[in-house]
Parts: sequence; C-alpha cells; structure tokens
Amino acid sequence: MRPLLAFDTSTDHLAIGVGDLDRPGAVLAAADVPAPRAANTMVLSAVERVLTEAGLEPSSLAAVACGRGPGSFTGVRIGVATAKGLAHGAGVPLLGFGTLDALAWRVWRSGEHGSRGLIGIIGDAMRGEVYPALFEIEKDGVARLDGDRVAPPADVADEWARHGDAIVLAGPGLSKHRAIFENAYSGRAHIATERVWVADGRSLLDASWAATGPSTVREVVTLERSDAYRIAHPGALLPVYTRLSDAEEAERRRGAIGAGTGTPPPSGVTGPAGGDR
Amino acid sequence: MRMRPLEYNDIPAVLAIERASFPDPWAESSFADEIGRTDRSWKVAVSEERVVGYGGVMTVGDEGHLLDLAVTPDERGTGLGRKLVWELAADAARAGASRLTLEVAASNDIALALYRSCGFDVAGRRPGYYPSTGDDALLLWSRPLKPHLAAMRAAAAGEDIILAVESSCDETAASVMRGGREELSNVIASQVDFHSRFGGVVPEIASRKHTEAIVGVVDEALEAAGVTFEDCDAVAVTAGPGLVGALVVGLAYAKGVACSTGLPVVGVNHLEGHIYAARLLDPDLQPPLVALLVSGGHTMLVDVPRWGAYTVLGGTLDDAAGEAFDKVAKLLGLGYPGGPVISRLAAEGDPGAIPFPRPMLRTDDLDVSLSGLKTAVIQYVERERRGGRDLRIPDIAASFQAAVTEVQVTKTLKAVRGTGARAVVLAGGVAANPALREALRSALAAEDVPLSVPPLGLCTDNAAMIAAAAHDSLVAGRFLGLDADAVPGLRLDRKM
Repeated sequence: MRPLLAFDTSTDHLAIGVGDLDRPGAVLAAADVPAPRAANTMVLSAVERVLTEAGLEPSSLAAVACGRGPGSFTGVRIGVATAKGLAHGAGVPLLGFGTLDALAWRVWRSGEHGSRGLIGIIGDAMRGEVYPALFEIEKDGVARLDGDRVAPPADVADEWARHGDAIVLAGPGLSKHRAIFENAYSGRAHIATERVWVADGRSLLDASWAATGPSTVREVVTLERSDAYRIAHPGALLPVYTRLSDAEEAERRRGAIGAGTGTPPPSGVTGPAGGDR
Repeated sequence: MRMRPLEYNDIPAVLAIERASFPDPWAESSFADEIGRTDRSWKVAVSEERVVGYGGVMTVGDEGHLLDLAVTPDERGTGLGRKLVWELAADAARAGASRLTLEVAASNDIALALYRSCGFDVAGRRPGYYPSTGDDALLLWSRPLKPHLAAMRAAAAGEDIILAVESSCDETAASVMRGGREELSNVIASQVDFHSRFGGVVPEIASRKHTEAIVGVVDEALEAAGVTFEDCDAVAVTAGPGLVGALVVGLAYAKGVACSTGLPVVGVNHLEGHIYAARLLDPDLQPPLVALLVSGGHTMLVDVPRWGAYTVLGGTLDDAAGEAFDKVAKLLGLGYPGGPVISRLAAEGDPGAIPFPRPMLRTDDLDVSLSGLKTAVIQYVERERRGGRDLRIPDIAASFQAAVTEVQVTKTLKAVRGTGARAVVLAGGVAANPALREALRSALAAEDVPLSVPPLGLCTDNAAMIAAAAHDSLVAGRFLGLDADAVPGLRLDRKM
C-alpha cells in the first residue's frame, strides 16, 4: 500500500480523502466539513483524524495531493502551503488537481445526471464573478472541456446555454448566482442538490487520479519513490489564481491605455494568470 | 524551585491551591487515594520549602491523561505551570504515553492559555461537563510527546538544531541554527524587485511569492547547513506581526512539516526576533537593555529587563521610520525602497541645509511622530518648485535624515536613562542607515553605554533571528499546536 492523502481548502468547505496509489479508486478514509475562513486552524487536525481513522501515521504517506484552486486566494495558499510542508517533511511527491474538477466528480458520483451531457461547475470568485468549468459526462467519469478562468456569471450562463446540451449545474457560486443561470436556461438546466455543490474526500481522490500534466498522480504513479519525489518535488506545485493581484491589474490597465493598443504588457510578477494544468 | 513526587504531608497545601484554583475542586480523599497508584504520577513544585504547584497524570496504554494541575495564584505567569506540564509529560512518556490529553473548563482562560502554549489543540467539547457550574469541558490533546521532550532537552543542553522560517513581509527566509547562537545557514529570497515598481510591498504579490519560494529556500538552508529534517529538533516560524496573507504561508508550511515529521513547532514574534538578532552578533550580550526597533513597519523603543520580557516604552504615533524614508523618496522621485537611496544621497548633502522640524523632541514621553516631518519635506519641495528653484536633493535627503536621526537618538538616550539599561540594541531594517548608527553610537559612548548593531543581513528580515528567539522558547517549553493561526497584529509583549 502507498497511501495518498488528498485535501482541498480552496473553498469554504474543507474536504480530505485518503487513497492508495496501488489501488485506483480506493478510499481508505474521508471527511468533509464546512470551514469558512478557518482552513489554517482546521486542516491539519482534521488530516490527522482522517489518517488515524485509516490506521495511518502522517509519516507513512507515499504522496500528498492538494487542490490548486481556483478559489479564495488565501484559502488556496493555505492548502498549497500546508501540502508543501507535509510533502516536503515526509519527502514524498506533491501532486495537484483542480478544485473545480473535484466538484464535478462529486456531481458525477451523486448520479444526479443523465448518461450523457454536461456538468457545469460554478465556483465563487467573489466580487460578483465566478470560476466556471465545463465537463463532459462519460461512462467512467468526467472529462474537462475548458481551462480555468474568471468571468461574470451572466456571460458564462449565456455561453453555456447556447450549447443547448443537457447540463447539470453545481458549485458554491450558485448560492449567489443561481437565478442568472436559471434565467439563461429558461428552466432547462438541472441544478444539482446543494449537498453536492461541495467536494468530499472521494471526489478529491477521483480528481487526483484524473488530473493530467506535471505534478499529478498519473505522472508519478508508476515511479519509485525517489524518482517520484524528484519529478513532483513539493517546491514545484503552484496555485491557480486566474486573476492577477489588484496592483498588477491596475498596472495592466494603465499600460493598455498608455500604449493605446489594448494589449496588456507581460506582467512577469505573479506568474501565469491562468491554469496550465 | 524543584519538583518531587507528591506525599501525604503535601495534601493540605495542595488542597489550598486546588480550592483557590477551581470552582469544582478535588476532595481531600481523592488526592490521598491517588498516592501510590502505579499508573499515576503526581508531582509537587516546591519553592523555599513551600508547595507552589502540583499536578498528576494517569497513563493508560499510549495515552497520558492529565488529571489535575494548578499553580498557587502568586506564582502564576512565571512559567511554572508549563514546567509542571512537561514534568508530567516526561513521566507519562516513560510510562508509555505518546500523547497527553485532558479536559479543561471552557471558561478557564488561564488554563487554556497554558495548555495552548504547550502546543495542545482543542479536539472537542463536552457540553455541561462540570455539574456545579454547568460549564462545558474542552477536550485537549498534546502533540507527540517524544519529539517535544527531546527538543527541550537538546535546547537545555544548548545543542538544539532549529529550522526557522520567516515570511511576515516581503522576504522569504529560512535558517538553521544550533543552540540559538550558532548560525549554520541563513538564506533570504528577497522579493523587493517584484514590489519596487508598485512603490511599496503589495500584500497579494508577497503571499504569492512566498508560496513559490518557500520550499526552495528551506531546501537551500538545510543543504547549506548540511542537515536534513531528521537532524532538526524543531521548526520555528514567525507567527506575527506582519501581513496576514504572507504570515499564513510560512505558518501553514511549518505546521505541515511538523505534522509529517513529528517535529515540534515554535511560534516566534517577529519583533522579538529583531531584538534577538543582536545576540547572534554578540553572544555575551546581557540585559537589561533598551532596543530601538526601526523598520518599514515598526518604530519602537523597548525595555528588555531580561531575555524574553519586553515593555514597549514608546513608539511612532503615525509613520514608521522606514515608511517615512519610503514616502520622502517617493516624493523626490527616487524610487522604492527609500532608505538606501536617501542614505546614499544624504552622504553628499549638508544635514544643516534645511531646518526641518524635530517633531516631539521636547515631549516627556518616548513616542515619536514622523508624519509631520514628512509633511514639512513636502511643503519645502512644493515651495521650492513654485519658486522655480532647483531642488538640492542631497541636501534635502541629508536634512531629512538628520531630523529623523536626532529624534531617535534623543528618545533612545532618554529611555536608557529612565531604565538604567546597560546596553542598547539597534534593530530592524532602518538600522542599516549609517548616519543613525553613527549618531547613536557616539551619543551612547558619551554615556558609556555600548551599542549593539547586528550586521546588515541580520537587521533586515531574516530567519536566523527567528531561530535565535525560538531557542529560548524551546527551553521554556513553548510550542504551537496544529490549529495555531497567524496573528497579524501580534504585540511584542504577547507570546504565541
């Protein structure tokens, strides 16, 4: 057994799952709990409890996976920094998955969808905006159709409604923007029960196994531990923000006006705005 | 003060403390019944033949249950409670316990603060647990005992190896230190280039950069010191004050390391770290001393009667010293950060050229105000520009710096005379300013008081100073639990 700890603190709902790199799909223990603005005080005690439930010590982990966002900037960073510490201290690879992907897996596991169609996840980006993500329902899971971004909910709702496909909507962004989506779909959208608007331990593990790219389970699952640690070093994984800092946004706007071209200059400060997953 | 096992003769004294401490005290017969049980350890703390505290622990399997612990009211706040906790923890560990657990009344703030300072976390709540008061009980658990006890023993012997992390502002830093004084490595990744074009530290950028850099900086510090996590006795981290988003990155990372390695976490007050930086330069430096702490975020005079004890004597009522330098530099179009460039230009100017005001120089207290001085510079510059005169930037820089320096030096001398301090520590980023150093040094020389100024790399934010302060916390058995949070407004006189 090679225990895999997965957790996500990007939203107000803390979720933790323990799986096994030798058994895809296995869930050894799981927990999820509301933790608004309390991730830093709650996550590690909860991790210890879940590991104990699985009969494991933190030192016995073979890998750590965490949600990279998008979500609350501070929430995402608490998760990523905690995961970096856990993985670095244990000398094991640090793997990532998309926060919105885990939410889509939660919906898929709930069975609240047809055999085909779409799952639309709406994360809460605050400031009247959302983090949207679209997934295709497949026989054995969900497939991500687009990249991470931030957008006004009305734009997303119109864009998705034009697809015309059957869709199940879920995600914490619906708490504020549900009506916009209902209107855009004129009642054709199925809104998942609120219970599955948040991730649980199993959905984090599902998303961990499905994630592609560097620093993912797929990249390291067949490797020896030392190779896995080198390939997915805890220093490598970074959060997905989708937004620049306000200071850089302001600079970008000024630059665009000044240059008169509307093309923002490269920022070079806080890394790629989007998520190269 | 010494510890010894509880005896029948102690029970009256113990009972008196018990009744002075809890609304639901143990009965006399209960204490008598505890003595001699093989699964229990009861200890009394004795000072000058008087019982001043006591506690008992029961070990069941790998769990130690702290049954009772109290300190006589006039000895509280001296660290005795913490000594008792760790004495009993060591007994429980010898009997096979890997952790300690206990219940404490939810309203008992003193006890909660004690256990939290030993790194205990609240794991649950039992409503209405105490029959006579109806108070809830909080269920507390310690961190793993063995590594905590080992770290305290190593620290007492001066052999502890601490990995410290600092991320309170715009430097991501890590250091490895032996015995609180021997620096094995000190790595700083400065972000200043990323902030300078915005004219100051952008908190969101700082938090992002810390997240990117922290693992690499720690790896570099461990490698430079030639150690691994396994060689370390504890992880220390700045818990405050500072930018909250920046602090949580270091704290979350440090707690993560602690969770997977079992290492204890020590939370350090950043300001206390600045004062300890002086002890790295001068290991024999002894209180009582006065510290002048001047940086971009802080300007304060501190009375340090002994290591670990602080009274803030005075501070800035508005801008911090470094902030004043930054603002004046910005006004003069000199860029960010302002300290180094103003200091450089001032060296070419005449400090007496412009008679800027010396705010609060004559007040009796030890406070300073720098925003009036900044306004005077603004008004001067506007007047000169209106009059079509060329600005003599070096003269402005020198005159402004002279005003800041004179106020700081005068207030520091006043603090020294008021406290009887035997040394002065100049700390914080503005301690890099040569004019301030020199003025303070010569003024103190006249009083025959030595000035201790850490080298530049230890004045600005760094993790070596955090490790130095953490050593004393280890000796005192002060730790953080896994549920500890950053305290952005942490005061110097408040421990984590």
